[in-house]
Amino acid sequence: MSGKPSVARIYSGFARGTDCVISELEVSVTPGIPTFSVIGLCDSSIRESHGRLVSAISSAGFKMPKGHVTINISPAYMKKSGSGFDLAMAMGILFASGQIRFDPERKVYAEGELSLDGNVKGTPGAALRLNKARNSGFSCILIPEEERISARCTGFEGQCVKDLAEACSVFGYKGYTPEHFDLGNIVQYPAERIDISMLKGQEKTRRALILSAAGFHNMLLLGSPGSGKTMAAGILSGILPPLDSDETGEVYALYEAVDGTSARISGERPIRSISPDITPGKLLGNTVSMTPGEMALANHGVLFADEIMEYPSKVLDLMRKPLEDREVRLFRDGISYVYPANILFVGAGNPCKCGMYYEPGSRCRCTAGTRRRYLNRLSGPFLERIDIFSEMRSIGKEDMALMYADGKNAESPQIRERIAECWAMQKERYHEKTFNSCFTSANPADSMRISKDILEYCSELASKGLFSARGYQKTLRLARTIADYEGHSDVLKSDVSEAAVFRAHEL
Amino acid sequence: MDYSEDEMKDFYYTAVRMTTKTDYRVVRELFDLGVIRSHRDMYDLAGRPVNEIEDYGLSNMSFRRVTEWIESNGKVERACEEYMKIAKENGISVISCENSSYPVNFRVLSGMPKVIYCRGDKELLKRCSAKGSAAIVGSRNASRYALYATDRFASDLSSQGITIVSGMALGVDRKAHEAALKGNGSTIAILAGGPDNIYPSENRELYKQIVGKGLIISEMPPGQQPLRQYFPSRNRLIAGLSDCTLIMEAGANSGTLHTASFAASQGKEVFVLPNSIYFENAEGGLKLLEDGCCVLLSTDSVIDAVSQAIIRRKMENPGLEDEPEMKPADKTAKKEELGKIRLKADKTPDEVTDEEWNTLIEDELSAKPLDIDNLCRALGLPFYRISELLVGLQLSGRVVLENGKYALTFL
Repeated sequence: MSGKPSVARIYSGFARGTDCVISELEVSVTPGIPTFSVIGLCDSSIRESHGRLVSAISSAGFKMPKGHVTINISPAYMKKSGSGFDLAMAMGILFASGQIRFDPERKVYAEGELSLDGNVKGTPGAALRLNKARNSGFSCILIPEEERISARCTGFEGQCVKDLAEACSVFGYKGYTPEHFDLGNIVQYPAERIDISMLKGQEKTRRALILSAAGFHNMLLLGSPGSGKTMAAGILSGILPPLDSDETGEVYALYEAVDGTSARISGERPIRSISPDITPGKLLGNTVSMTPGEMALANHGVLFADEIMEYPSKVLDLMRKPLEDREVRLFRDGISYVYPANILFVGAGNPCKCGMYYEPGSRCRCTAGTRRRYLNRLSGPFLERIDIFSEMRSIGKEDMALMYADGKNAESPQIRERIAECWAMQKERYHEKTFNSCFTSANPADSMRISKDILEYCSELASKGLFSARGYQKTLRLARTIADYEGHSDVLKSDVSEAAVFRAHEL
Repeated sequence: MDYSEDEMKDFYYTAVRMTTKTDYRVVRELFDLGVIRSHRDMYDLAGRPVNEIEDYGLSNMSFRRVTEWIESNGKVERACEEYMKIAKENGISVISCENSSYPVNFRVLSGMPKVIYCRGDKELLKRCSAKGSAAIVGSRNASRYALYATDRFASDLSSQGITIVSGMALGVDRKAHEAALKGNGSTIAILAGGPDNIYPSENRELYKQIVGKGLIISEMPPGQQPLRQYFPSRNRLIAGLSDCTLIMEAGANSGTLHTASFAASQGKEVFVLPNSIYFENAEGGLKLLEDGCCVLLSTDSVIDAVSQAIIRRKMENPGLEDEPEMKPADKTAKKEELGKIRLKADKTPDEVTDEEWNTLIEDELSAKPLDIDNLCRALGLPFYRISELLVGLQLSGRVVLENGKYALTFL
């Protein structure tokens, strides 16, 4: 053997937050006393792979080369972890030692963890990695059989392998036989949802839910215990249009990274409920493990915060920035990690300490002072993120009876279709996937088709104290959504007045 | 409109009073000495030679003034012609104390003008005597509360057939006229300037309505500008014409207080709307209450006062003709109308106008404040319609949002 080491190149990937990096593995085998070293800021889960590699290679009928085996995983300055490099490392060793004939022109991507008997197993975050690998121009992609579902969600081409031997046969007698993965019919839609007709006699909340869904407007529901606030969140999932295929993939990828392959694949928008005891790490994401938080998991869906008054104000204020930017930003080691968080925030809570403020009669026993102190738990800047306010009351006897008497005709499907149309209108108007609630522009009135006298009317309403001056923009946006839902091409006066009803609140 | 000779003499009388120094004292002296029996005789007096006048035994000052007037009679006649010309153009009629239609309330008081000029429905003066009248006056920049109360009292009283008398100023006066006109009640506006002179000009539209359905009165001749000093005198007429006076809001130095003191000195009931003692613009009204005016609590006490005045008037003037009985526009009529709108809302909801819906909403809210969900159910209207109407009502100050419920405006 000459002094020139034989080097093989192969590719794999690892996830960093929701961001994925494709890494190049260089494997060199040089003669000498057998050593094994992995370099490139790898943690122990990668360094430990030596044991798995030795056993798996011999199980597949090959031999671990005798000599210095050095594996360099680039980019070398990034910290890496996970056992997903095993397959690529094993293949690289076999290429470098000449046990498998290897065409250097071929760009090979491989991922998967090896077991001692040579089987290839999937690792979390597959969907994220495959999404990246899909577009990186590999001529050959090998993934574990277990990652088939993730592959289908990202919609790419490659080959699934069961064990190391099968992976090697791709370069031998069998050849590379890629298959195309797509979603097909694996997406499930839940059949049973709470229908919006359950909100009989609560017209305002009903309308609030519809508008909130139609324009992705953040909403705050205040009402007594038992008035159906939690149910309202369930209803919302029934009137939101299903995820499109890109979104399904995105949502699945994130869930897969957290829950592994047991994650659901659903066309339904995620509804994440959080409770007041949530930690900042759980809400925004853990900066040590880089697990996405609830805000990221609710991407393209709903984040429902029940008992919003009980949240420590610190936690609520943490949500302010993500709600504004529509993304969660985490910092670790001076690097920022971005999780998209295009969420519809729904808060629900009591209107006062005893909760009976909106109930008929005088059942509330809070004084004005107690009530104000109670409501002060929501900070002004936080409330500024809320577009729709609605109060809820426990429903009356007649409505209760009516609700169960003619509860059969579901109204949600129709409303859902209408909302899907509204979304299409907004997409056309803003030429991108933006909703009325988050559209930003120097002069929004133009693109929203709001005429000057409507603007004047709106300022008149503001000056009469129907809503605060800072709620002016919000009112216009909401009015635009109402106009969309009602099918008005220009925003009408009546749209603005209705929007004003949802902005009127005593917080 | 052509004026009779008597009417021409009425104009002439006013011209004398307006253009010469012949004031009420001179006129009274002429009456006392038997020189004239009626103000119309002034016209004939001007034709007499000066030396004849010397024999009447007038005091020196009066004599000087009368001679001055007779010497400048040409000027007086020119003014008189000018008045008649303007009056003719604007359809203004003249009523003097010689006419049967001269208001009884003026006749029984001293110091009331002998000649008044009117524009509009003169029959209202008769109705005013037969059914009673109430003056509703107050501040020009009144609070929401006062305006609300004015609206309620004016419409309730006028629905009882009582004529609403006011001064067509901004604020309370305007509201009072509007409320009376809205309910097809009768209303009389007494102006400080000539009856053709719209003051303030913001009330042009209201003036037209009053000319159409009500009556404009002035003691000033046609064409006369409303001068500052005429306003207290006008307030005297408002108090004089009506059977009782309602003060809705008056600041410490408000002109409204003149009306109140005239009414009190004429022996008429003065009602004052109670208000907060910390509210600056209510000081004058509260002082009146302190001085013993009646507290305006409900329409009932006002109606009592008016009916007592009517009875007294009938006893003192047995010849007073009864106004042909009008269909009482009372509460049952209001109820009937509501019923009609309800029926319409049930059968053909599309034909119901916004104003009619507003009436229904206000009726629903009159019992107690309701939330928007309740209103939706009660009226069977879709949410977006209800919200539009409610915001409109909120904007016009008829409804407020309190504790998550909509309530009729109070304060």
